[in-house]
Amino acid sequence: MRQAVAVAVTKHRLDSAVLQKLPTDSPVVASLGAAIASLPTYQKAFADAPPAFTEVGLRYSHYTEDSLDKDLLVFGDRDRYDIDVTQLWIEAPVGGAWSVAFDVQNDSMSGASPWFVGTNLDGEPGVIMSGASIQDNRVEVGVTTRYFWADGNAGFNVTHSDEDDYEALAFSFDAAWNSDDNSRTWSASASTSDDSVAPVKEAIPVFIDQEELDTQSLYFGVSQVLTSTSIVRVGLSYTISDGYLTDPYKLADQRPSEHERVTLNTGYRQYFVEAGGALKMDYRFYNDDWGTDSHTLEVAWQQSLGRHSLTPYLRYYSQSQADFFSVIADTSTDFYADDYRLSSYGAITAGLRGTVMIGDWEVEGQLERYDSDNSFSLYGGDAAPGLVDFWRATVGVTLRFD
Amino acid sequence: MSLQVSSLGHVFRWCAVLIALNTSLTASDSVSAETATIKVPAPDFVLPVIANGKGALAMDDLEGSVVYLDFWASWCGPCRLSLPALDTIYQELKDQGLIVAAITVDAVEEDALDFLQRYPVSYPIAFDSSGDVPSAFAVNGMPSGYLIDRSGNVRALHVGFKRGDEVALRDEIIAMLEE
Amino acid sequence: MRLLRWVAMVTLLSSTVGCSNIEAVPAWERGYLAEPGMQWELSRREAKFAGHVYTSKEASSGGSGAAGGGCGCN
Repeated sequence: MRQAVAVAVTKHRLDSAVLQKLPTDSPVVASLGAAIASLPTYQKAFADAPPAFTEVGLRYSHYTEDSLDKDLLVFGDRDRYDIDVTQLWIEAPVGGAWSVAFDVQNDSMSGASPWFVGTNLDGEPGVIMSGASIQDNRVEVGVTTRYFWADGNAGFNVTHSDEDDYEALAFSFDAAWNSDDNSRTWSASASTSDDSVAPVKEAIPVFIDQEELDTQSLYFGVSQVLTSTSIVRVGLSYTISDGYLTDPYKLADQRPSEHERVTLNTGYRQYFVEAGGALKMDYRFYNDDWGTDSHTLEVAWQQSLGRHSLTPYLRYYSQSQADFFSVIADTSTDFYADDYRLSSYGAITAGLRGTVMIGDWEVEGQLERYDSDNSFSLYGGDAAPGLVDFWRATVGVTLRFD
Repeated sequence: MSLQVSSLGHVFRWCAVLIALNTSLTASDSVSAETATIKVPAPDFVLPVIANGKGALAMDDLEGSVVYLDFWASWCGPCRLSLPALDTIYQELKDQGLIVAAITVDAVEEDALDFLQRYPVSYPIAFDSSGDVPSAFAVNGMPSGYLIDRSGNVRALHVGFKRGDEVALRDEIIAMLEE
Repeated sequence: MRLLRWVAMVTLLSSTVGCSNIEAVPAWERGYLAEPGMQWELSRREAKFAGHVYTSKEASSGGSGAAGGGCGCN
C-alpha cells in the first residue's frame, strides 16, 4: 500500500540559500564554505524555456461590421466592412537555446467606410459613406528569433506589412529576465516602424500621393508571483509617431503630425483549485497628446475541462474625444476630424472561446460581439454617428510535434 | 522609405543597454558551471513508488550506486524533454551501475501518470505532493536533477533542461561511474 | 513631454517593485501557475489579432508589448 509508506525526510537538508546562489563570489556562499559553493550547476531554471516542440498553426477569422443605422445615413451604401483574416505560423526550437517563429497573416477587406459627417433633412448629423465598395488585401510577414538563457530570454522581430495603399516595416527587440528566486520577471521592449501611405484614388477623392510615418515605442514591465495561485503585472508603454497621421480617405480630416501616447497596464491572474479555473483581469489606462484618455477593463474566466478549456470574457472600453474632434468637422481650425474613432464613446465586447485537444492537435473556436455607443462612455461628449458594431468568429488548429 | 535617424537612435541606444545587461547576466551564469570537487551528503527520504516499481524509494537503499535523482512535474515544459533523455542515458548505463530515479512533485498523482502515458520511461517514479523532499533538496526549478556518487554525496546539480544538455550530463555520469 | 513622464514612472515602478519583498513560491508548488488560464494571453496569435482589431477601431493603442506593423485601418 502506497499510503503505508510515510513521506520522511531524515538526516539533514541541503541549504537552499547555497544552492540558489551558486556563483562562487557570493559572500553568503563564501561564509558557508568553498566546498559547497563549487557544486556545479549546468544551468538555472528556465522561466521561459525554449519551446519543447515545433508548433504549426492555422487560424481563420471573419468579422462583419453591422450596417449603418438608416437614421444615421445621409448618403451612400449602409453596408460597412467585411474582413477575413488568415493567420499561419510555424515556431520551432533551434539547437538548445534558440527558437524561430515565422508568421504570415492575410487580411482581406471589402465594403465601405464613412467619408464625412454632414446633416440630414432634419438637421441631424448623419454619415456620408464612401461610394463604391472598396477592396483591399493586406499581407503581413514576420520573423522572430529568440535566445534563451538561464534567467530569461531576448527576441528580435522583423515584420513587413503590405497592402494596396499602405506599407510598413517594423523592427522590435524585447527581453525578459527573472529574479534569482524566479518569482519576479522584468521585461522591456523597443520597437520602430517605418510606414508609407499611398492612397488608392478610385472611389473617393484623395489629396495626397504618398506620405511617411515613423513610430517608435518603448515598453517596460514587471510581473510578480504573489502566491502559488496568483500573479500580478504592471507595465508602462510610451509611443511616439511622427509624420502623416491624417486619414486620407476622409473628406474633412487634418491631424497633427506628431502623436505621443503613454499607457499604464496592469494584469492579475488567480487560479481557483476547487473550480479548476482561472480568473483573468486586465486594466489599461491610456493617455495621449491629442487630448484622448481611455480606460480598458477585461475580465475572463478560463475553465479547464481536462485538457480542454472554455473561456467566457467581457471587455469594457471608454475613451474621451480628441481635442480637434467635432461631430461635423470644423475646417476653420488648424486641426479637425469627424472620425468616430476620435469621438467620445464606450464599447462592450462579450465573447466565448473554447479549445479542444485531440492528441497533438489543438482546435480552437471563438465568437465575440462588439457594441459601441456614446451613452456607454465615461466621458460624455457628443455622439458621433459613425460608431461601429461588429461580430467576429474565429476557428483554428495548432499541431505540436517533435 | 526614410528612416528617421534621430529618433531611431533612441531606440537603438535602448537596445544596446538591454543587450549589455543580458550579456552580463549570461556571463555571470556561465561562471558557475565549473569542476565538481565537493561532496554534500544527500538528504535521506522514503517515498512511495507510483510507476516502474513497487513499494518505496529510499535514499538509504540507493547507496553504493551512482544515482541521478530527478525532480519533475507534469506541468513542467522542459520535463517533456528531460524524462525521455534521462531514459536513454539510463538504458545505456544501467548495466554499469547507474540508477535513475525520479520524484514527481505533482499535487495530483493521476496528472503524473497521464504524463508518463505520453512520455513513457523505464526508471522508477516516486511521488511527493507534500513538498518535504524537494524542500530538503532545495529544489529551485523544474526539472532539478541531482547526481549522487556511490557514497551518497550530491556532486552536481542540473536545473532546467534544454536540447543537447544530455550530452554533458552523460559525460558527467560516465566520469562518476569510472571513479 | 510624455517621454520624461514615462521614464519617471518606469524609475518609480522599478524601484518600488525592486525593493519590495514577497516570499517566493517554491519551484515544486508552481503547478497552478503553469495552468493555461494563468498565462497573460489567451494565445499569442489571438492577442496579436485582437490587438490589431482594437487598434484599428479605437483611438487607443499600446500596452501589450512592442508596436506592430501595418494599418488595415479601414
